[in-house]
Amino acid sequence: MEEFLTVEALVIILVLVATLVAIAVRRIRLPYTVSLVLVGLFISLQRPIDVEVTPELILAIFVPPLIFEAAFHLDFRLLRSNLAPIIMLAVPGVILTTLFVGGMVALGTGLSFATAAVFGALIAATDPVAVVALFRALGVPRQLAAAVEGESLFNDGTAIVVFNIALTVALTGAFDPLGGLFDFLRVALGGMATGVALGWLTAQLMARVDDRLIVSTLTTLLAYSSYLVAERFHVSGVLAVVMAGLISGNVGLASASPTSKIMLFNLWDYLGFLANSLVFLLIGLDVDLSRLWTNLIPIAVAVIAVLLSRGAVVYGMPLIARLFRRRPLLPINWRHILFWGGLRGAISLALVLSVPTTLPERDLLESMTFGVLLFTLLGQGTTIQFLLDRLGLSQQPPHRVAREKRLGQYFAGRAGLRRLEHLHREGLLLDEMWDGLRVDYLRDQKHVMEHMIQLFHDHAELERELLIQARREALQAERGALGDALRRGLLSEHVYEELLTDIDYRLEALDLIQAARVDVEID
Amino acid sequence: MGPIVCATRGGEASYRTQARAIELAKERNLELVFLCVVDAGFAGPLSKRLAAALDDELKRLGRSLLNVAETRAQDQGVPAKTVCMSGPVRESIEAYLRQVSASTLVIGCSRSSERHQAFDSEDVTDFAERLRQTTSAEVILVA
Repeated sequence: MEEFLTVEALVIILVLVATLVAIAVRRIRLPYTVSLVLVGLFISLQRPIDVEVTPELILAIFVPPLIFEAAFHLDFRLLRSNLAPIIMLAVPGVILTTLFVGGMVALGTGLSFATAAVFGALIAATDPVAVVALFRALGVPRQLAAAVEGESLFNDGTAIVVFNIALTVALTGAFDPLGGLFDFLRVALGGMATGVALGWLTAQLMARVDDRLIVSTLTTLLAYSSYLVAERFHVSGVLAVVMAGLISGNVGLASASPTSKIMLFNLWDYLGFLANSLVFLLIGLDVDLSRLWTNLIPIAVAVIAVLLSRGAVVYGMPLIARLFRRRPLLPINWRHILFWGGLRGAISLALVLSVPTTLPERDLLESMTFGVLLFTLLGQGTTIQFLLDRLGLSQQPPHRVAREKRLGQYFAGRAGLRRLEHLHREGLLLDEMWDGLRVDYLRDQKHVMEHMIQLFHDHAELERELLIQARREALQAERGALGDALRRGLLSEHVYEELLTDIDYRLEALDLIQAARVDVEID
Repeated sequence: MGPIVCATRGGEASYRTQARAIELAKERNLELVFLCVVDAGFAGPLSKRLAAALDDELKRLGRSLLNVAETRAQDQGVPAKTVCMSGPVRESIEAYLRQVSASTLVIGCSRSSERHQAFDSEDVTDFAERLRQTTSAEVILVA
């Protein structure tokens, strides 16, 4: 009982610290996860907390919600439109990273190639949570966010499979290429099949029982059970969670009512936030700076190897793909973001902690992993916004900014004019003054409208967007009117629900139309 | 001679495309038809109710865009007809051109080089070329 209470108190403290960090980062321009690592480091320097971070804790407790949340939110259409680069980076990309990093680390540190390849595999899994959070805040193109997130989801799975093969080779010294390939396919495809099967089953249940509490419970069960079932069958638990999240988030959600959808999105946002907070705080708490200092040279070699191999994969592979495709696989400025945004996190940490102590160089691998984690989180994580700004990916196109500005000026002008009219009606503004001010205001309004019309002429898609926005506001007003009618007893609960659901479907349809803006084919 | 058909969906070049079509209708004194084809296929598989809502909202948006175009034409003294269709965009345009024996098709393509603009200038040029071969209509591209 005493031990249970200690663990409970520790969890409460960690969540409290994470919450305080979340509040603090609202005022500073630093990614949340990076701030958590820094705070964890600071705490461990001041007063080390005795937390034993085990691979089981990370893989079985934190990874399922982390991965499920990302997959659940990933739009299948966006994933499909980026499937070629995602597969390229997540499968051959991981294998090449393992070999490149393995080779360079072996050369630079004197480790055997087999042991260095273990490091290459575990460090191949990217964890762009800090980058993706930034993308959301800055309004970066959704396709780019989907490419970064999609790569991360799938390369986690492949990295674990490759890691296990490399680890077996490092421990036993035996390597059977055909057997390795067969194992890779069995574990990867088996994991995906498990996730698809459980995800599909859950989606069917979600379609039949549209109750927000039950569907929330079902998805929570799915996240953990897909991992456990897959691991039980010795196939990839991570890939099972990825597929389960994708299927339930796309197929399952398609039949859920808008009320259930809102509940599910809120639930997974919260669980993802909680898992992320604890993982990154634990990374900070678990860093042993004195050991990192001792292994500074191998860490520097590892960082250089990771950066060079990431560059080779991200810039080199699309060049090869260009030989077979008319269109480039990835725009060049996206490649810069994929290169510098390839942060490492929870999966690499869990994998290095799972390396058995029988591997003599385990401690060195752990130091190199922590070193790379810290470099990517603190170095790349804090500078990625600068790169996004430089590449113009964090900014809205000038014509959209201009529209917003004109719209703001128009609304502000109208409000000002209404206020003046009120003052005039109240007798606080003399007729001549009112006339003088009104003429001025009306001239400004006319000027703003002319600019708006010119903008619409040059960028007619803005007009289309305005129509969608207006329709959305009209539907919101209709929604409010239904609520009033219900309160006044003009509508029965049943009719109210039916009409409300219809409006909610229409609002969702408008979201789909808005999101598909880039798919406008003919002007 | 058959009418001038202006295919419009509210993209970046739609104002320029409509303006060119109105100008041509005036010059040639021909009937002008604004055509909007909506295709809910981009959304993939959806529940029945959401698919119905999406189709309806797309048509509503299409009709609104056509009404705006019609008003613009009328303001310049050109009467215009509007047609909103549902289905695959390219095939529907091609079928409509045949149905009305259109003399001219005016379509726009975006100047934006943004990736994933599913119908980039290269695509629209191919499409225009195909229409020139399969229908008797003159095809004018507006960028």
